[in-house]
Amino acid sequence: MSAPKLNVSDVATLARLALTKEETEKFTAQLGQVLAHMEALAKIPTENVPEVHPPDHPALRKDVPSPSLPVEIALSNAPAQANDLIVVPKIVE
Amino acid sequence: MSLAHETVASLRRRLAKKEIKSRDIVSDLLKEIDAREKTIHAYTQVDRESALKAADQADVSLPLGGIPIALKDNLNAIGDPCTCSSKILEGYKAPYDATAVARLRQAGAVFLGRTNMDEFAMGSSTENSALGVTRNPWDSSRIPGGSSGGSAAAVAGRIALAALGSDTGGSIRQPAALCGCVGLKPTYGRISRFGLVAFASSLDQIGPLTRTVEDSALLLSSLAGHDPRDNTTDPRSPETFLSKPMNSVKGLKVGLPKEYFIPGMDGETEKAVRAAADWFQKNGAEIKEVSLPLTPSAIAVYYILATAEASANLARFDGVRYGRRAADPRDVLDLYQRTREEGFGPEVKRRIILGTFVLSAGYTDAYYRKAQKVRGLIRQDFEKAFQGCDLLLTPTSPEPAFQLGERTQDPLKMYLADVFTISVNLAGTCGISLPCGFTKSNLPIGLQLIGPRFGEEKMLQAAHAYEQSHDFWKRMPSW
Amino acid sequence: MVSADGKWEAVIGLEVHCQVRTATKMFCGCANQYGAAPNTHVCPVCLGLPGSLPVPNEEAIRKTILTGLMLGCRIAPVARFDRKNYFYPDMPKNYQISQYEDPLCAGGSVGLDPFQFPKELQETEEAQARRKIRLVRIHLEEDVAKSFHFEERSGIDFNRAGTPLMEIVTEADLRTPGEAFAFLGSLRQILWAGGVSDADMEKGQLRCDVNVSVRPMGEAKFGTKVELKNLNSISGVRRALVHEIARQIAVVEKGGSLVQETRRWDDNAGATFTMRTKEQAHDYRYFPDPDLLPVRTDRGLQAAAKKSVPELPAAMQDRLVKDFGVTAYQASVLSCDRLLCGYYEKAAAKTKNKAAVANWILNDFLSTQPDPATTPVKPEYFAELADLVTTGKINSAQGKKVFAELVANPSSPHEIVKKLGLEQISDLGALMAMCEEAIAANPRSVEDYRAGKMNAINALKGFVMKKSQGKANPVQIDEILKQQLGA
Repeated sequence: MSAPKLNVSDVATLARLALTKEETEKFTAQLGQVLAHMEALAKIPTENVPEVHPPDHPALRKDVPSPSLPVEIALSNAPAQANDLIVVPKIVE
Repeated sequence: MSLAHETVASLRRRLAKKEIKSRDIVSDLLKEIDAREKTIHAYTQVDRESALKAADQADVSLPLGGIPIALKDNLNAIGDPCTCSSKILEGYKAPYDATAVARLRQAGAVFLGRTNMDEFAMGSSTENSALGVTRNPWDSSRIPGGSSGGSAAAVAGRIALAALGSDTGGSIRQPAALCGCVGLKPTYGRISRFGLVAFASSLDQIGPLTRTVEDSALLLSSLAGHDPRDNTTDPRSPETFLSKPMNSVKGLKVGLPKEYFIPGMDGETEKAVRAAADWFQKNGAEIKEVSLPLTPSAIAVYYILATAEASANLARFDGVRYGRRAADPRDVLDLYQRTREEGFGPEVKRRIILGTFVLSAGYTDAYYRKAQKVRGLIRQDFEKAFQGCDLLLTPTSPEPAFQLGERTQDPLKMYLADVFTISVNLAGTCGISLPCGFTKSNLPIGLQLIGPRFGEEKMLQAAHAYEQSHDFWKRMPSW
Repeated sequence: MVSADGKWEAVIGLEVHCQVRTATKMFCGCANQYGAAPNTHVCPVCLGLPGSLPVPNEEAIRKTILTGLMLGCRIAPVARFDRKNYFYPDMPKNYQISQYEDPLCAGGSVGLDPFQFPKELQETEEAQARRKIRLVRIHLEEDVAKSFHFEERSGIDFNRAGTPLMEIVTEADLRTPGEAFAFLGSLRQILWAGGVSDADMEKGQLRCDVNVSVRPMGEAKFGTKVELKNLNSISGVRRALVHEIARQIAVVEKGGSLVQETRRWDDNAGATFTMRTKEQAHDYRYFPDPDLLPVRTDRGLQAAAKKSVPELPAAMQDRLVKDFGVTAYQASVLSCDRLLCGYYEKAAAKTKNKAAVANWILNDFLSTQPDPATTPVKPEYFAELADLVTTGKINSAQGKKVFAELVANPSSPHEIVKKLGLEQISDLGALMAMCEEAIAANPRSVEDYRAGKMNAINALKGFVMKKSQGKANPVQIDEILKQQLGA
């Protein structure tokens, strides 16, 4: 693991955060420190880590319907709705 | 004496004898809230009317019948806000109950209010709340710990009897230690996470904050058990914990991990915790030194895995289906970016950036996968230690409560405060913090007992025995 | 081989998304139902509310394993779910629960059925070759919500969000648009056979993205790959490929270079347009979903799936041709519709005239759009009908009358024949008498016949048929007349 190349701007784009210039600079410095602290992990040998076996018990759901939310409740928290649809600005492919 | 100063267990007995009514308990608590909540600010919401109403309808024959309990503000309860102390969840009203909340309801509990926290449970001081800071009831210039700071401060400040919190890296145990109350993090998979707003899915657990270990066991008994709505819950049948307290630690094998007693740690903390170890030894337990060699890497492993999971868990907060939405978005991208920029606080943003980074193309092997492997080794460390010990004994926090504002500009220093609690989450075992002393300036010091996975009963027995042989649990902050 | 001059070859791979037929969604108990009123089948889980958690649908997993078994895949003993992270308004959590490193199925193949090629290509060498197209993997994931676009806003319906979706990825084994067309049809037959999916592309139950590149014939290296999206029908896939392959060849022939990108097919314009380039491609940041336990398939799921592996279309077609004597085409029609085939097999069981039964059912009965499961026309009736005609009790024209009555008022053909008074007259004496009458009544035709005009016998036959009200056996009266005329 060489010196971590964290580009806060690029990552912020991936995470849909419109950071200010100040935030970008501040986070770069702060997270740089945090990542430096993490460098030590590279030195830990991990070839023989035991496999965690998945449990035997099936934690699956039977294909039987359960009640859905009434539409008014489903949409009760929507910031914008019309005709029982949740509304957003026009989605352009 | 105000009923607010009693324990859940003793109030249950009095309710059963019909000496008191649930409404009496709620009223007394509301009086204490009126007196001190303004200073402490443990609550984001106090439900006066609905609590009194529920108290009047309470069925005291149920295990927690008539007992008022506060909920950390990241637990969904039907019809209530669930702010996670964040601006981005402004206006959100939960349309469903978290399983833990439903189980408390079924057990007859009454909900008193919702408590303050670090935003999305990210923090160790409750200073990251968008709804104001919470103050330590022992010293209002100091932090209560976090992220369940509101719950801990309420219980310690006698403005709640008991509260639910959540613990991802110590968020129940550390504030319990700093506030001088009992905080339990159950084994991962004990209590359903359905309805708990997720921070780090493989680490989060709900747990009780209470005055005593007995109260903690009472709540755990109602909360624990398999939930078909949470794939990660353990299938074993529900248990009743501490039904027969044994008050003896004879023959118990207690390990002291040497990595938790490091040079330079706070002197008073070390003294109090070693004194606790001495008590165990004097009363028939065998004290052994053990080693958890990967302890120094735990913080790095935690902050890689927890932030990675959090970056995905928090992606849903986008202004589309609920919560705050940025005004007049130009397009979908603008909606996302501005909603999240305006809605999240700096610590949350920092962790989302870090988490997104460690998962991103080109870095995922070096960070995320490496951290997963080291986590496996940390788990192995604990399993080895428990081969020769029943319990581990450590300080909960490297130091008592620090000053408000002291660490807010230094995230790394803030992260390092989690060093004694974090490994327990990584290994998925159970841990409890209880008071074991006070500093010269009357600040609480917490003792942590750690048990193996699903070893809560023995851990609670030992904690209860220690607690009842000391007066620390009776001490109250002065006001 | 696509380019007419043989210089260029197209290399095509498909990514098919197929909705799995289940009662509930992939990770919650909301109904998996098409066409319901918007946002009436949603809950905290599929809306992505804070605190919600997924729990996998056992039936969706079983059906995916079944698909893998039908297609000859290796089934993973332990399968895992991963989070695929990206932001889009139709994504309730802004990550999709999918499978990345440990999918349920790996390998396998789909054989191209000649009858699934476009009609005009079915007799070609390409179709008759019955090539096997290899699969890379099949995995299970959750579908996204549906958006509706208006002038300045979009509206989202989350009913579809969280429904189970199987993703089937092929190797780049396809070489022509016709093969891609046939692949989708052949795959659909198999999905229908297993009851796994209705796979209707118009309803969005089967969606297809295409990866296509071109290279000089004989070249082993792959050319620049272009991904095509927005293909809404099987014929649309073919049209888009025809256009895109031509576009790519035109570029490289001029010496230009292609960009690795995603292009959107516009069926109205009949062309593809750039959507996003490789640089703009998503970084999905896959990691195992910590909310979901790994799924062990070797603790009963594989066994349960094995029990429901049906006879596959190819095997069924072979059997029908061999054991029932139907044509290859008829076999392909029957293998498309398991209910109809079951009906046919019931009918054919009661008679030796199995091919005739097939003709009745496929040529005549099918156009009345029957429901083989509930129709009052019992399959045995067709066996009877076929036997009646073959043994000469009625002729084929009468057979058609019986059939019409069979559909209108279902009862046994024997009864219908009696009811309509259609018994063919085979009594030799009666027939001879009628033939004598015909000869007596038509001296001109008799003369013409004896004079060598062989067709003149038809007037006599017509007389007999009229006299007998169509009930005379035409073959017999032909013989009798010839005998009598020869005498």
